[in-house]
Amino acid sequence: MEKELTMPKLRPEMENGVLCAWLKEEGDTVTAGEPLFEIETDKVVNQIEATESGVLKKQLFEEGDTVNVETAVAILETK
Amino acid sequence: MEKKPEWLKVRYNQDAVNEVAELMRDLKLNTVCKEANCPNLGECYRKHTSTFLILGSICTRNCRFCNVTTGHPLPPDPEEPMNVAKAAKKLGLRHVVLTCSTRDDLPDGGAEQFAKCVRAIREVCPGTTVETLISDMKGNTDALDIVIAAHPEVLNHNVETVKELQSAVRPQARYQRSLDVLRYCKQKEPTLLTKTGFMVGLGETEDQISALMDDILETGCDILTIGQYLQPSPQHYPLARYATPEDFAHYKEMALQKGFRHVASAPLARSSYKAWEVLEDVHDLY
Repeated sequence: MEKELTMPKLRPEMENGVLCAWLKEEGDTVTAGEPLFEIETDKVVNQIEATESGVLKKQLFEEGDTVNVETAVAILETK
Repeated sequence: MEKKPEWLKVRYNQDAVNEVAELMRDLKLNTVCKEANCPNLGECYRKHTSTFLILGSICTRNCRFCNVTTGHPLPPDPEEPMNVAKAAKKLGLRHVVLTCSTRDDLPDGGAEQFAKCVRAIREVCPGTTVETLISDMKGNTDALDIVIAAHPEVLNHNVETVKELQSAVRPQARYQRSLDVLRYCKQKEPTLLTKTGFMVGLGETEDQISALMDDILETGCDILTIGQYLQPSPQHYPLARYATPEDFAHYKEMALQKGFRHVASAPLARSSYKAWEVLEDVHDLY
């Protein structure tokens, strides 16, 4: 089953975020709780964890891209 | 934006955050974690801890380091004390940290609401310890007496920065007044553990930090927290530098040498971060 992982809204006024790094490549196995990608905000770099286990099927954005909140960032193939 | 150092990476799990965020929303409560855009929110919410921001999310002051919104706040919510207690019970908190937006519009600065919250927690969550992270309440000792009489285990009030940067960073506060608040509370109730914190990275010098520690220690303060200033937005007070973890270890050593009983000093240390562990450590010392 495919599941979309979205850009989280890290604070109420956040409209978009810069995806600064992928921590997993397409085809990698991901366990729930493992960090998948990084978003830089004004204060810190946030490592966003996968909320489900599966295989990272598709990275929908490249490092450096600005992504609107709640937009799909990755597709995860879950069991 | 200056590149963030490696030690300013934090983990964030949307599901874990949603669980606590929904509980707060259902009980009409605010957390300083959310309002101040705290970098530790992801970690703390995952561990089912949070710091309650009582008296509303609108502050009457506009400190230049702080992300809490300035404006005209609403009157205190009479249901807030019991809702805080209910949330504390639901989260299973062993130690509750209450902080507030500064309420210069209220005659008692919100002291009575603090006291009501402490009493509600005592009633609903027996055995739970309470830390009140208060504003300076304009140095009003009648207001401070109300908070002290509620017997929180820890009374925390942050001096935030060195003497020389006070007027630029927190224009409506006063350095001496903050020190006086700490001193008054300790003298009035010596069994109360007093606690304060400051940020580094605002442009302070080592000598200024040393003098600040001396001034704090002189009030009888038990617990000190030191953390990195993180600029909430380009409109806030400019960041001067990122101190390294080694710098924080050095500040901790400095403070312990001077005679502080407990010091939490790390880039992401905040005054309420792991407050339970701090309290446990302090109890081991006495």
